[in-house]
Amino acid sequence: MKKVSLCGYCLAACFLLLAAAPASAQWKQAAGPYPWKFPRDHGSHPAYRTEWWYFTGNLSANAGARYGYQLTFFRQGIRYKPPAPAGPWDIRDVYLGHFAVSDIAGKTFRYAERISRTGPGLAGAGEENLDVRLLDWTARMQSGTIALQARDKGMALDLTLLPRKPLVFHGRNGLSRKGPQEGQASYYTSFTHLETTGFLATPANGRVAVSGRSWFDHEFGSNQLAAGQTGWDWFSLALSDGREVMLYFLRRSDGSVEPASAGTLVEPDGKTRHLSRAEITVTALEHWKSPASNGRYPSRWAVRIPAAGIDLTIAASLADQELITKGSTGVTYWEGAVAGRGTSGNRSVTCEGYAELTGYAGSLGGLF
Amino acid sequence: MSVVTKAFLRYLRRRRSLSLLQLLGIACGVAAAVGMALSARASLASFETAVEFIGGRATHSLERPAGPLAETVLSRIIADPAVLAFSPVIDRRILLATGETVRLLGIDPLLDRAVRPQLAHPGTPAASPAPERFAFLLEENTVLVDEQLAAQSRLHSGGFLETSRGRMRIVGTFPNASGEPLILMDISHSQRLFELGGMIDRVDLIVDDEAGFLARWKSGFRIQSGQQRRATLRDMLGAFRLNLQALSLLALFVGVFLVYNTAMFTVVSRMKDAGILRSLGAGRREIVAAFLSEILLFGACGGILGGLAGFLLSRFLSGLVAGTISNLYFFLRPAALEWDWSVLLVSVGLGCGASILGGIFPLVELVRADPVQAIRGRTAVRGAHGRAARAALAGAGVLAVSAALFWLARIHVYFGFAGSFALLIGVSLTTGLALVFCHPPLKRLLAFLAGLPGKVAAGNIRRNLGRSAVAVAAFMVAISMSIGLSSMIGSFRQSLIWWMGTQLRADLFVGKVGGAEVPESFYREMQTIPGLAGFDRYRNVQALYRGTTITLCAVDAAVLQKFTNFGWLAGGNENWEPVKNGTVIVSESFSRRFRLRAGDTVTLDGVDGPATLTITAIYYDYTSEHGVVMMDRSTYLRVFNDRTITTLGVFIDPGNPQRQALLEEVSERAIRRGLPVFTRDQLRGDILAVFDSTFAVTRSMQVLSIVVAFFGIAGALMTLFIERQREFGIYRALGFSSRQVAAMTLLEGLGMGMVSFLMSIGVGTALAWVLIRVINLRSFNWTIFFHPAWEPYAVAFAIAVLASLGAAAYPIWKVYKTYPQMQIREE
Repeated sequence: MKKVSLCGYCLAACFLLLAAAPASAQWKQAAGPYPWKFPRDHGSHPAYRTEWWYFTGNLSANAGARYGYQLTFFRQGIRYKPPAPAGPWDIRDVYLGHFAVSDIAGKTFRYAERISRTGPGLAGAGEENLDVRLLDWTARMQSGTIALQARDKGMALDLTLLPRKPLVFHGRNGLSRKGPQEGQASYYTSFTHLETTGFLATPANGRVAVSGRSWFDHEFGSNQLAAGQTGWDWFSLALSDGREVMLYFLRRSDGSVEPASAGTLVEPDGKTRHLSRAEITVTALEHWKSPASNGRYPSRWAVRIPAAGIDLTIAASLADQELITKGSTGVTYWEGAVAGRGTSGNRSVTCEGYAELTGYAGSLGGLF
Repeated sequence: MSVVTKAFLRYLRRRRSLSLLQLLGIACGVAAAVGMALSARASLASFETAVEFIGGRATHSLERPAGPLAETVLSRIIADPAVLAFSPVIDRRILLATGETVRLLGIDPLLDRAVRPQLAHPGTPAASPAPERFAFLLEENTVLVDEQLAAQSRLHSGGFLETSRGRMRIVGTFPNASGEPLILMDISHSQRLFELGGMIDRVDLIVDDEAGFLARWKSGFRIQSGQQRRATLRDMLGAFRLNLQALSLLALFVGVFLVYNTAMFTVVSRMKDAGILRSLGAGRREIVAAFLSEILLFGACGGILGGLAGFLLSRFLSGLVAGTISNLYFFLRPAALEWDWSVLLVSVGLGCGASILGGIFPLVELVRADPVQAIRGRTAVRGAHGRAARAALAGAGVLAVSAALFWLARIHVYFGFAGSFALLIGVSLTTGLALVFCHPPLKRLLAFLAGLPGKVAAGNIRRNLGRSAVAVAAFMVAISMSIGLSSMIGSFRQSLIWWMGTQLRADLFVGKVGGAEVPESFYREMQTIPGLAGFDRYRNVQALYRGTTITLCAVDAAVLQKFTNFGWLAGGNENWEPVKNGTVIVSESFSRRFRLRAGDTVTLDGVDGPATLTITAIYYDYTSEHGVVMMDRSTYLRVFNDRTITTLGVFIDPGNPQRQALLEEVSERAIRRGLPVFTRDQLRGDILAVFDSTFAVTRSMQVLSIVVAFFGIAGALMTLFIERQREFGIYRALGFSSRQVAAMTLLEGLGMGMVSFLMSIGVGTALAWVLIRVINLRSFNWTIFFHPAWEPYAVAFAIAVLASLGAAAYPIWKVYKTYPQMQIREE
C-alpha cells in the first residue's frame, strides 16, 4: 500500500506541481512589451503563474556589527480558477516565504521558511500596490516608502526602505529572457538602491537599530527555466562609486551557460545599461562544500565587465549561508551577503551585495 | 541444604497433585491481582499516548466555550506576538457505511505541519502519479485514512470510502500512533462537507508567552494548554479510574487471601512430619528453615506462573476496559502492553509475601508446639473454639471500624473502599464462630441427606475449624462479591430503564450523541411536514465549569414540558416554566459534585464573557457523572451563539391516525441525508447495550473471584483428605463403604459451601448496599435506586454448590482409586 505524507503534499503543492502538470494554457506568458504602471505593478499579477518579491540588504548596527538579510515572498499559482463554489480555503495560489539573517561578526546564519494558502486572511498580495503578506511577514509600500516586517525563530525585522534611485527595468524594458523559447522569460524590475533604517533582532544580539542599503527585485512570469537548465548564479552588487550591477548566469546540464544570461549596470544617476552574456565574465576562484547538503558552491569570484571598466574580486561574507527549504519550496540553495573590492572605471572601489546560487545541491531543471 | 529441607522438598514430589493445586492456587491469586492492575495501567497509558499524538507539538488550543468559532479569528491569531505556529482544525465524526463512527480531522496541511509534524511522514511517494499528490488539497471529497483503519476495513489508496456524507476517494494512508481511527481531509473540503461555511472547531497553537497570550484571549474563548487538556481528560476518567483501582485491589485481596490460604494448608498439613523430624532430633530452626524454603519455593514458582498468566489476562481485560472508556468517555484503543520483567519481580514478591503471611501463624504455632502433640497431628484442633471466639471478637472490632469508614466516605470515596475491605475482613474473621454455630443444623441437614457419613462430614468441618474456617471465609468473600456486584449492576440497570422512561420519550431520534451533527436545514425541512407534534433540538456539548468538564444541554423546554416526565428531585413538570425564561436545571450529579442547590447560580463562560444563570430545579440523570446543565435553546443561543443540533427528537401525537406514515416519512428523509435514525425502543436498547458492555470488566472480575475461591475450597478439601487418609482406612474397617467415604468427602465440601453461601447472603446484600449508597454515590454522584432481585442469590447458590462439589471431585476420585489398599497397608 502506498504510504504518503502530508509533508509530501506540502512540497508537491508548491513547485513540483509545475513539473508534474503541464502549465495551464490559461496562464499568461511573459512575452512582448508590458504596459508598466506604478505603483500598480509593484503589486500582484495573478494572471501569471509565478511571482516573487525579493528583498536583500547589507546593514550595520550602530556598534559597527554587519548584517545581511533576505526576505522573500513567492506566489505560486496552483490552478487558474478553483471550481465553484469556491470558499476562502480553496487553493488558487500558494504563498511561500524565506527569511534569513546573516550575522557577519557573529558568524551565524539563520533562516526560516513558510508556506500558506491564501485562506481567510492568511496570505496574499494586493493588486494595486506592493502589499504582500504571509501570515505575519509583510512587505508594504506606502507613499513611496517600503515597510518590511518579519519575525521567526528569534529573528525579527522591522525596516523602512526608501528608494534612492529610480526603478530599474531589466532586459528589454523589463522583459528578462531566461531561455531561447517564447515565454521563457519574466518581467523583472528592481529598486537597486534602497536606503534602509530600522531594527533587526537575532537571538544572540537581541534587537538592535540598523541602517544600510537594500535591493528589491520583483519578477513575474509563467514558465521561466528551460529544459536542460540546472540552476543559476545571481549577483546584486553595490559599488562604492555609486554604481550597481545585477548579473545572472543560467547554467546548463552540459556545463555551458545559457546564452540568454545577462545583467544590468546602473549608473550613479540611475541610468541603466543592459549587459549581454558576452560582456560579462565571472570566474569561480574558491568553493565551499556544504556539510548539510553536500552541495559544492563557489564562494569567491572574479567578476569582469570590461566594457564598464569593472574588475572585482568578491567573496561570501560567511561561508555557510545555505537554505535547505524542505518545508516550503523544497529547494536547497545558497543566498547570502557578499563583499569585495577592485576597480570600477579605473578607480579603486569596494562593493557589497548578495549572491544567489541554485542548483548546486540537486537540480532545479524544469521546476521554474 | 540441610537434610530436613531436602526431606521437605522430596515430600513435595511425592504429593504431586496437592503440590500442583497449591501452586495453581498461588498462581491464580497472583494472576488476578497482576492482570487487573496491568490492564488498568495499559488502558490509561494508551490514553496518554493517544492524547499526545493528536495534540502534536501544540502547547494550547483555542475554541469557543461551546460550538464552532468563526475563522476570522485567525487574523487576530496571526497578529498575536506570542503565537509561534497555529493550525485551524475541524474536528468531527463521520459515520462510515460499515456503521462505525470515525473521527475526521479537517486540517490545512500547510499550517498543520508546524503543529503536528508527526502526521507528516518523511519521504514522498515517488511511485505514485503526481496528480494524486495534489488531489488531497485540490479535489473535493478526497481523504487520507490511517493505516490501521485501512487494513482493518480493507481500504487502499485509490479506493473509495463510503460514508453517510457521501463517497470519499482515498488518496493515501498514513501511520497513526494514536490508536484512534482517523481520517484526514483538507480543511476546505471538510468545511463544505459539514456545512460549516466560515467556521472552524478550534485552533491548535504553539505559544511562547503564555501569560501574555491568556491575558489577550481571556474573554469569550476557551484556551487550554496541552497539560490542561490531558488533565481534563484524566479528570473525566477520575471516578472510572478509581473504580478500576478498587477492582484491582479487590483482586489483590482475593488473591492474597488465596495464597494465604494455600500457604497455611502447606504448613498445617505438615505438622505431623515436623513433629516426627523434631522427635528424631531436628532443631526448631532447621524445621522453620525447611518450611520457609518450601513456602518460598511455592511462592516464587506460583508467582512466576501467576505473573505470566496475569500478563496474558491483562491483554484480554484491557480490551474490555478500553471498550468501556470508549463507550462512556472518548475513543480509546488499548495499546498492547509491552512485556516487562518487573512484572515477574512483582509477581514473585506478591507470591512470596502473601505465602509468608499465610505461613507465619501456623509456623509460630509449630515452633511452640510439643513434638509429641505435633506427631498426633491437628494441634490446631485444641483450643480451636477459643480461637474462633477470639477471632470473631477481633472481627467485630474490624466491622466497627468498617462502619466508621463508611461514615467517613462522605470525605473521600477512598474511605468507602477501605470500609468495604474492612467489612469483608471483619466478616471473614467471624467465620470460625459461624461454623461452630452452624454445626448443629448442618449436622442435621447432612445426616438427613446421607445418614452417618453426613454426620461425620459435619463433625469433620467443625473438628478442623482452623482450616475449614479459612476456606469458608475465602469462598464467602468471593460469593459475596458476586452477589454484591450483581445486585448493584441490576439495580443500576433498573434505575437506568426508569430514567430512560422519564426522558427519552420522543418517537424518533435523528442523529447521535458523539456522531455527526444534524444540519439545521434538516430541522427546517421537518417543520414543513404537517402533523408532527413537536421537535426537541437537542444540543449536547462539553464545557468547562470550575476546571471540570461538564455537559451542557440545550433543549426545547416547552416541548419537553409537554411530552416528557423528568425524574425531579423536587416538584414536577412545572419546573420547566422558569427554564423557558432563561434559568437552568442541573443533574443530580452536578448538584452533588459542586454542592449547588435550586436557587443557586452557575456562571458559565459564554461567547460574550461569563454568563450567570439561576438553577431552578434538579433532576435524576445517569448520562454524566460530572454533571449536566440543561437550558432552553434560546438561552443557549444567547450565551453560546452555537446553532449546532446534536440530535433532533421528533414527537408525534399518540392519537394521530397518520402516525405510522409520519414515522416512515421522517425516517426516510433522515436516511436520505445520511443521518442515523432511532426509534425510542432502538435508542433505549442501544443505551442498555452500552451499559451492559460497560460492566464487562466488573463481570470478569466476578468470574475471576469465583475461580480463585474454587481453588481455595479445593485446596482446603484436599489437605483435609490427605491428612485423614488413615481415618478413611479406619472408616472402611468400621464398615463404611468406599461410596460412603466418598459421600462424606462430598458432603464436607457441600457443607462448607452451604455455610459460605448462607453467610454471603447477608454480606453480599450489605456489599450491594455499600456499592450503591456509598461507592457509586460518592464516585459518580448519582443515586441508584435499590431494586431487590433474587437472581444474584440464585446464581450465588448455584456457584456455591457447583464449586464445592467440583472441588470435592478430585478427593473422591482419589478415594476410589486408592482405597482400600493404601489405608489398610498403613494400618
